[in-house]
Amino acid sequence: MDKQKIRFLIVEDDEMIRLIHKDFLNDLYPESKIFEAENGAQGICHYFESHPNIILLDMMMPIMGGEAFLDILEEGHRSNILKEKPKIIVVTAIKDVKELMSIGKRFAVEAVISKPLVQNQLKSLLEDWII
Amino acid sequence: MNAKFPQKDDFLSVPIFEMEKALNRVHYKKDLLERVIDIFVKSLSERINAIETDLQHENWESLNTLAHSIKGSSWTIGAQQLGNIAYAMEKAAGSKDIDLFTHLFQIFQDSAQRFCEFEKKVN
Repeated sequence: MDKQKIRFLIVEDDEMIRLIHKDFLNDLYPESKIFEAENGAQGICHYFESHPNIILLDMMMPIMGGEAFLDILEEGHRSNILKEKPKIIVVTAIKDVKELMSIGKRFAVEAVISKPLVQNQLKSLLEDWII
Repeated sequence: MNAKFPQKDDFLSVPIFEMEKALNRVHYKKDLLERVIDIFVKSLSERINAIETDLQHENWESLNTLAHSIKGSSWTIGAQQLGNIAYAMEKAAGSKDIDLFTHLFQIFQDSAQRFCEFEKKVN
């Protein structure tokens, strides 16, 4: 993945956490584009408009959570409406191990990171993907 | 009040705010930390109002989401005590225990007030 062409999408209901994610990604990849969504429904709209390569996804959000967001992307991919498969990093405060394991198996989910986010974990993941 | 419920003191041993954690989270950018705490404090009062409304209607799904969200943002900025109470509230919402949730919400509001007073003093 070329760092000049990276498009991030942050799907997170908490404005404060979106701001921290955005600042961190901006510092790491100043040439990237960063889009923000407050819930899964906004996230889907941004996904179709902006075609992000990497998505930071919260799971528990009002209106539409991460599960429904993943369901829609998966269906879109299965029915060939979506051609590209993004890399999704779930950032969640869910503590239940079984639930976390099941999220890790979902479509396009490459990693599940616990909140509060340890940014070095995210950095090392991104460095594996972005040149 | 149920004697088995967690008491205020069970949460007070944890700091109201851990500055080092908060600064670390924002890579020691003090201006960013100020913005982040400002957003957090505003969201606290909005969320407390939302919880009051949802509690009246016993809207457990929303109460669960709200407590979960407060837990995540509190722990993120080093408001450890609030995060721990919110975590207990999330579990109470999961089991739809109105007495326990109401009891914890009272402790949460006291802690939120102390956090806001502490934040004002620091600034």
